[in-house]
Amino acid sequence: MEKILNKINQLAKEIKKDVTLMEVCGTHTEAIAKHGLKKILPPNIKLISGPGCPVCVTEQRDIDNIIELALQGIPVVTYGDMLKVPGNKMSLEQSIRHGAKVFTVYSTEEIFTNPVIKPLNKGLVFFGIGFDTTTPMTASIIKKGITVYSTHKNFFPAMKALIVNQKIKIDGFINPGHVSAIIGLKHYQQLKLSQVIAGFEPEDVLMAILMLLKQIKDGQKKVENQYQRVVTNQGNVQAQKLINEVFEIKTVYWRGFGPIPDSGYELRKKYQQFDAKIKYRKILTGLKIKPSPKLKLCRCGEVIKGLIDPADCRLFSKSCQPENPIGPCMVSREGACNVKYRFK
Amino acid sequence: MSNIVLNNMNKFINLAHGSGGNESDELITILKKTLKQNSAWRNQNDDGATLVTTNFKNQKLVFTTDSFVINPLFFRGGNIGKIAACGTINDLTVMGAKPLGLSLSLIIEEGFPVSDLNKIMASLAQICHQEKVPVVTGDTKVMEKGKLDKIMINTSGVGLAKRVISDSGLKPGDLICANGTLGDHGSVILANRFNYQTRLKSDSATFIKEFFKIINLVSAAKDPTRGGLSQCLNELAEKSRVKIFVDEKNKIFKKESLAIAGLLGISEYSLPSEGRFVFGIKKSNLNKVKNIFKKQKKDLVVFGEVQIGRGVFIKTKFGERPLEKPRGKLIPRIC
Amino acid sequence: MCLAIPGKIIKLLPNSSYGLVDFNGIESKVNLELVKVKKNDWVIVHAGFAIEKLKEQDARQTINLINKDGKNSK
Repeated sequence: MEKILNKINQLAKEIKKDVTLMEVCGTHTEAIAKHGLKKILPPNIKLISGPGCPVCVTEQRDIDNIIELALQGIPVVTYGDMLKVPGNKMSLEQSIRHGAKVFTVYSTEEIFTNPVIKPLNKGLVFFGIGFDTTTPMTASIIKKGITVYSTHKNFFPAMKALIVNQKIKIDGFINPGHVSAIIGLKHYQQLKLSQVIAGFEPEDVLMAILMLLKQIKDGQKKVENQYQRVVTNQGNVQAQKLINEVFEIKTVYWRGFGPIPDSGYELRKKYQQFDAKIKYRKILTGLKIKPSPKLKLCRCGEVIKGLIDPADCRLFSKSCQPENPIGPCMVSREGACNVKYRFK
Repeated sequence: MSNIVLNNMNKFINLAHGSGGNESDELITILKKTLKQNSAWRNQNDDGATLVTTNFKNQKLVFTTDSFVINPLFFRGGNIGKIAACGTINDLTVMGAKPLGLSLSLIIEEGFPVSDLNKIMASLAQICHQEKVPVVTGDTKVMEKGKLDKIMINTSGVGLAKRVISDSGLKPGDLICANGTLGDHGSVILANRFNYQTRLKSDSATFIKEFFKIINLVSAAKDPTRGGLSQCLNELAEKSRVKIFVDEKNKIFKKESLAIAGLLGISEYSLPSEGRFVFGIKKSNLNKVKNIFKKQKKDLVVFGEVQIGRGVFIKTKFGERPLEKPRGKLIPRIC
Repeated sequence: MCLAIPGKIIKLLPNSSYGLVDFNGIESKVNLELVKVKKNDWVIVHAGFAIEKLKEQDARQTINLINKDGKNSK
C-alpha cells in the first residue's frame, strides 16, 4: 500500500503540472471520501466527482411524474434512494402521507417475493433508475410482466458529453467498475483520454490513480482495467443481450446536461404494454407542475458536471442537508453533496 | 413455569382479556404463575409492589425504562420476551446498578396466538429467574385487531448502584473494549427481514457477572443498542470530550455482519447489539480485565484507544477516517 | 448504485434461473440468469442478480479487503 502511494508521489513530482482526474461512479465518490483518499494525494493531483449518481442525474420532470402516479393511487416500487428526492410538489415519501402506496426494495426480486408487494404486481409501476448495471434487472422484470417507468441511462455518452462541452479540463477518468462489468471496455476507446477502470476498495482506487498518472506522464491515452477480477473486455454479453431485447437507446435529458444523444434506455415497441409512460400517458402529459422556488436555487446540475464543489453552493449544509434536502445530490448516498456532508 | 392455558380452549387473546373482568383476572393469574419467583418484593395484588431494604445507604437508586416493538417477534437467538428482560436489566447494569426488580407492561393485539404469548413469557421469565431479578408489577391491555402490530412490551427497572458509571468518564490513554463482537443482533434481524439464511444468532443476553467483576476498573460504559456502535462511540466521545480511535483489525464485527452490511449498503457501525457493553479501561488494567474475562469464559474485544481531541475516527492504511454519526431513518423496529 | 459483493453458489435451484449463494455466512437466493455458472462457482452480486463470475482467488481477495483482514495481495 505504501509502495503505491510512494509511486504516486514520485510520478506527481515528475509530472509537475496540475492533473485533474474525474471519478464518474457514485460508489467511487463515496469510497474516496470515506477513506479520505483526497487528503493523501500529492497537491498537484486533483480528484473531482462526475455524474455517477443515477438519482442525481434524473430530470426533475421524471421525478414529478412518478410522484404524480403515486398520488393518483398507482402503487410505486423504487430503490431506496429515490424516496426522499424532493419533487416540485413533494417527495415520494411525503406522498405516502397523502395516501400513496410507495414501496422501497433492494432488489427487483422483492417484487415477486415480498408478501405486501406481490399481490399488487399487475397494477404497480417500478421506477427504473440506474445506469447499465441496473438496467438488466429491470429488463428481467419487464419480461415477467411488470410495468416500468424507465429513467435508465446508458452511462458512456455522459462521459463523451463531459469532454465535448469542456468547461473543465479532465486529464483522466476513473471509470465505473460495475457499469464496465456489464458493457465491457470497447466504447471507452472512443474517448481518446487516459482511463482506468477501478474496483471499489481504497487499494483499487489508488492503484487506478497510479496507472492513470503513469499514462499521463508517458503521454498515453489508453483504456486500462484495474478491476480485472470482475471486469472482462467484452463485459457481460448475456446482460447486454437482455438489455437490447427489451430496451432501445434514445436521446434523453440529464439533469445539468440537457439532452445527451443515445444516452437513455426506453422500452421497445414490443414491450410497450409494460411502459408506464405509454400506459399512463393521459396522466403524465396532462401534468402541469409549477416549479418550486426552492428547487430553482439548487445547483446539483453544476455539481454533477464537476463545475462546482458542493461547498460552493449557498444552500450546502445550511438549508440543504440530508435530513432536509433540496436537491437529489444531497439525498442520494452517492450524491457528491451528501458524501461531502457526511465525511466533512 | 406454567403454560398459559385458558378456559374455553381459547387459543387467541381477545378483548375481554384486557377489559378487567374475569377473563383478565384469569390471564393475569396465569402470567403471574409464569413469572413467580422468590424475592424480597411484596405485591398483594395492590396497585404496586413494595420492597423493604436497608441497602439504600450510600447507594444511588437507578431507574430505567425501555419499550420493545421488534419485528419479527421470534428470531435466531431469542424473541421479544428475551430482549425485553435483557434490555432493561442491561440498562441498569451498564450504569453500575445491581437490578432489583422489573415492571412488565404488555399491550397485545386482539387475536394474538396464546401459544406465541407462552413462548415470549417463558423466555422473559427464564432471564428473570436466571439473574434473580423478578417482575414485581405489571399491566396487560388488549387492543382491537388492526390497531397494533401483534404485541408491544415495556419493561421498567430499578437498581442500586454503589458507583454510577456514566458515559462521560473516558480519559486519553484509555482502551475501548467490548464483551464480544458488535452488531450480531442487528444482522440477525435484517437477515430475517430480507429472507437471508444465516447461522448467526442474536447477541441478546445479560452481562451482570462480567460487568460487576470489572466495575472498579471501568472509566465509562455504554450499551450499543439503537444506532449501533457508531451512535455509542460518538456519544461516549462527545460526553467525555475526547477522541476515540478505532482499529478495525481487532475483529469488531463478525463476517456475517460485514456481509449483510455490504449486501444492504448500510454501515456495520449502525447495527445494534442487545447483549453487549462498550467500555473504557486504563491501559495498565488490560491484563487484569483479560484474566477476569477468561475466567468467566467471556469474549473480550479490544478495539480502540482514547486520545486527546474530539470525534471518532477509524484507522486506515494511510491515516484515519471519521466515523459518521448515524442519521436519518435507521433500521426500523430492530429492538 | 454499484454495490456488489462476492458470494459462492452453494446450490442451484432446479427448474429455475436461481441459486442459493453464500456471502460469508449469509445465504440468499440470487437470480443467475445473467451468468453461466455451476455449483461452487463464485459470483459478484448486484441488486439480487449475479452480474459476473469470479475466480475463487479474486473473490477471496475482495472478501479479505471487505473483512479488513489486512491481507493485501497488491
